[in-house]
Amino acid sequence: MADKTNLQRLPAEELFQNELNALMAAEKYPVPAGWRMSPRSVLTYICGGRAGDTPITPKYIGHQRLVEIAIATLVTDRALLLIGEPGTAKSWLSEHLCAAINGDSTRVIQGTAGTTEEQIRYSWNYAMLIAQGPSPAAMLKSPVYRAMEEGAIARVEEISRCASEVQDALISILSEKRISVPELSVEVPAKKGFSVIATANTRDKGVNEMSAALRRRFNIVVLPSPESLEEEMEIVRSRVEQLSAGLGLDLSAQLPAGDVVEKVCTIFRELRSGQTLDGAQKLKGTSGVLSTAEAISLLANSMALAGSFGGGTITDRDLAAALQGAVIKDEDKDGVAWKEYLQNIMKKRGSRWLGLYKECAELL
Amino acid sequence: MELPILFGVRHLSPAGAWHLLRLLEEKRPRLVLVEGPCDLDPLLEDLVRPGTQTPVAMLAYTQEAPVRSILYPLAVYSPEYQAILWAHKNGARCRFMDLPSEVFLAMDRRERGEGEGEEDFDAYKELDRLAGADGHEMFWERTLEHTTASGAYLRGAAAFGRSLREVTAGREADWPENLVREAHMRRVMEDAMAEGYAPEEIVAVTGAYHLEGLKNAAPMTDREKKALPRKAAGFTLMPYSYYRLSSRSGYGAGNKAPAYYGLIWEGFLRGEPDYAARSYLSGIARSLREEGSPASSASVIEGVRLAGELARLRGSSVPVLRDLRDAALTCLGEGSFSAISRGTARAEIGSRIGALPEGVSRTSIQEDFYRQLKTLKLEKYRDMAAQDLALDLRENRSVKSREAAFLDLNRSFFLHRLRVLGVSFAAWQPVQQDSATWAERWVLRWSPEAEMELVESALKGDTIPQAASFRMKERVEAADGVAGVAGVLEDAFACGMPEAVRYATGALQGMAVDAASLEELAATAQRLSHVVQYGGLRLLDPAPLIPILQQIYLRCCLILSAACTCDDSAAGGVIQAMERLNAAQLAHDFLDPAPWLSALSDVARWDHLNTRLSGFAAAILLERGAMEPEELSREVSRRLSRGTPAELGAGWFQGLSMRNRYALIARLSLWQSLSDYLDTLDEEEFKRALVFLRRAFADFSAKEKDSIGENLGELWGLNGQQVSEAVNAPLAQEAQEMLEGLEDFDFDL
Repeated sequence: MADKTNLQRLPAEELFQNELNALMAAEKYPVPAGWRMSPRSVLTYICGGRAGDTPITPKYIGHQRLVEIAIATLVTDRALLLIGEPGTAKSWLSEHLCAAINGDSTRVIQGTAGTTEEQIRYSWNYAMLIAQGPSPAAMLKSPVYRAMEEGAIARVEEISRCASEVQDALISILSEKRISVPELSVEVPAKKGFSVIATANTRDKGVNEMSAALRRRFNIVVLPSPESLEEEMEIVRSRVEQLSAGLGLDLSAQLPAGDVVEKVCTIFRELRSGQTLDGAQKLKGTSGVLSTAEAISLLANSMALAGSFGGGTITDRDLAAALQGAVIKDEDKDGVAWKEYLQNIMKKRGSRWLGLYKECAELL
Repeated sequence: MELPILFGVRHLSPAGAWHLLRLLEEKRPRLVLVEGPCDLDPLLEDLVRPGTQTPVAMLAYTQEAPVRSILYPLAVYSPEYQAILWAHKNGARCRFMDLPSEVFLAMDRRERGEGEGEEDFDAYKELDRLAGADGHEMFWERTLEHTTASGAYLRGAAAFGRSLREVTAGREADWPENLVREAHMRRVMEDAMAEGYAPEEIVAVTGAYHLEGLKNAAPMTDREKKALPRKAAGFTLMPYSYYRLSSRSGYGAGNKAPAYYGLIWEGFLRGEPDYAARSYLSGIARSLREEGSPASSASVIEGVRLAGELARLRGSSVPVLRDLRDAALTCLGEGSFSAISRGTARAEIGSRIGALPEGVSRTSIQEDFYRQLKTLKLEKYRDMAAQDLALDLRENRSVKSREAAFLDLNRSFFLHRLRVLGVSFAAWQPVQQDSATWAERWVLRWSPEAEMELVESALKGDTIPQAASFRMKERVEAADGVAGVAGVLEDAFACGMPEAVRYATGALQGMAVDAASLEELAATAQRLSHVVQYGGLRLLDPAPLIPILQQIYLRCCLILSAACTCDDSAAGGVIQAMERLNAAQLAHDFLDPAPWLSALSDVARWDHLNTRLSGFAAAILLERGAMEPEELSREVSRRLSRGTPAELGAGWFQGLSMRNRYALIARLSLWQSLSDYLDTLDEEEFKRALVFLRRAFADFSAKEKDSIGENLGELWGLNGQQVSEAVNAPLAQEAQEMLEGLEDFDFDL
């Protein structure tokens, strides 16, 4: 096994090994077949709490009820479809659900326009196939296939980006709960605990609309953007902390102050919703989504900038550069919206915002 | 002192009702005491009649203004209702034991709200906080509403009531009232035991909150009882609906989803704990299918399973409403609530409406209503299907008795009174202007809602006329303008209520003195004029209205010219007012025409007013023969002379042509003047005038335009045929272009 410390990103189950172990050790409730812990422990793992003496960090903040629905869905061995705007932590939630339930979040199919049916079912090692004919050894099993064999959960990311015939391949798997291999004349039934978590992006609606037949096989949970500024700040703060500390990103900069997080979240929320937080003023939105995930990476970015080229703390100048990069995706339209925002909203916010305003205005 | 068997419930609680029934079966008491005003005992008999269908509500109200009321809604799953029913079926006595409604109504508090209001609202907020995302209603349901274990409900409810009391003791606004109520309930228990009932032969049903209080309270003494404030009160039983129950149950503990609670109750009766979950979800699926969206049974099954798992996550075995709703959202609504919102409304609130058998404890206003239905021979219209009713208000001379002769008139009075009261039994179909004034059309349809509205009217008066008159008085007091009061006056006439007419007249007199706009006064004058004209038909003497109509009329004449200084957008309203006043003046001899005509001629002649209004005034004068032809041609040439801006001239002409067109068209001299005017204009001025004249003629019909063309043709020496052809021929390309060019005409030049 390679040295894990220099990997860019560890899977959730390894990153939070301690917490998972603590939860399993402290288990008090019945554990469903194929699961490693009870649904309640999964909930604690995702929404935070305690397991014995070990504190469990929250992985998904806000909307605990949606997490409950997602977990309950998986207990009933139904497939789960997470839908939401980009950056609403769909993949994040799906990874952590798998990590907690199976201790393995790596059975993933990334849905793209180029995904084929074989990638959902199985394909062959063609050299071996030609040399020896069809045999189990020549077979390349897809993550879904493996999940069925092991009674675990497979993840399909961005399912609505796959072509409809690929989506159709999932229908029979989800309804029959078995996969047939005519070449070997066998049929592989799914073990208890098998399920699928798929994610889909609302912005991709219409790219490859999911058929009613497929939608019917999923329980659908819509993940919204964070409800309040406080909630979003909490998400951003904790994720940036995890990014810098837990993931070993040596940014050699201090964690952003609450003030900085608040400013970024405020700007993002206002541009996202097209009005000021107090609802008093309308403003022009931008073409990009400006998701929470972007706010997180923006702050990580600024920390890198400050650590590498600055004094270690995020200055208004660092922030201004990062903000401009994040907000202006489409030069013409977003540039105008950003300028308007600076002049009409930020400039009038008073002294606390003045430094940031000046830096932003200078960059334009 | 020994206490009877106490059973603490949550009001409107299916589990409470079921466990209470089991307790009653086990103890078989001879006397059942129920928390409810003890002077409402006469209603108990009606509650258990075979025709009574829940939901119903007991209503107590003060006899005198200001009217206050208290309402006790009962659903089939109310423990109190089930206790009353059990007592009736098993030959036990049943009594209410709370303070009399007279006392409740007399107690000093701003707004009793409807119902008990016994629990402090803030305590529930606190509970919401503690229960987290579930909220107190779900907390209750999860903890108590599905429990089947014997004694668990009683213990749970008691513990809940005790803690609620500990938290709120002395802090809530109605704390003293609660102590008084508990003392009174203890007194009723003492009295019952003194009558010879052993404590174990009595079961008392009360809110869980009161359990502790009842144990510690001392029975109320005679002296204390005497000292209670009282206010004369009436009471009745009225049908209620699940919709009302959900929107304003009045109980602090709330009852947001009566239809769903009904399902829980059904589940208890059937002994199927998951009955509510299954029916709820399949109900939503059924609504979805009716709306045309697919909802398979497989999805319902998945929904039931998901809800079960959601409940298990929270440590309960039976899903509560929140779990079910989230399951429906996920499995049936594909994550969007709007898809299932109608289904959930139906499954949670439902459309159930209670009913009472004939003759059950009616309020006096209901009795009055049914008596009138009978006398007016309208009984067959008391039906759920809508029926038409055409009335002829004139005296029927072919019958002997006076009642029969004016039957339709009296029916009209009656229906108008109901309309004024807002009882939706009869819908008035306004008759078209041209049909006879003695005819009226109504659509009659009976519904339980109408009965409820009727019962609510009981707060306004004992009989329908009384209540209607009270309602009209309220409207007069709330009216913020002359027109509002005039509307009441009209209604009062329609209802045939001379007293209300007098009252409204007085108010109107007072108001007409204040400044009001011409439009409003004219609208009032029109209404009054109608009443005076047709009041005789309704056998009412309109004489008292005449002075006030005269007063308003005169006032209008005086402010007319001032009102004519306005822009074109306001002119429309003034024109309508002028038409109304003119019609009113023509209709009544007692309105002296002189001030009206003089006001009109001022408006017609003065140059500084809105020209359209001047033109319109001239048109009225012309129509009434108050303007000589010579004067008209003088006006025409003056108004349409070269010096006047074209838009003013054309505006005047537009006003003039709004009335009596045939007379205008026939008047050759007018067209001569118009023709002369056009001749004087140079090209630029002509273009300008053309724009406005085109507008002035825009609403003339083709035939009228023809006649005008003929007139002009005659003046210009052409024959009619040629002119008609020229006017009605399609426009040539060139002319079309010229006209289009005019659209870009710069009016600011």
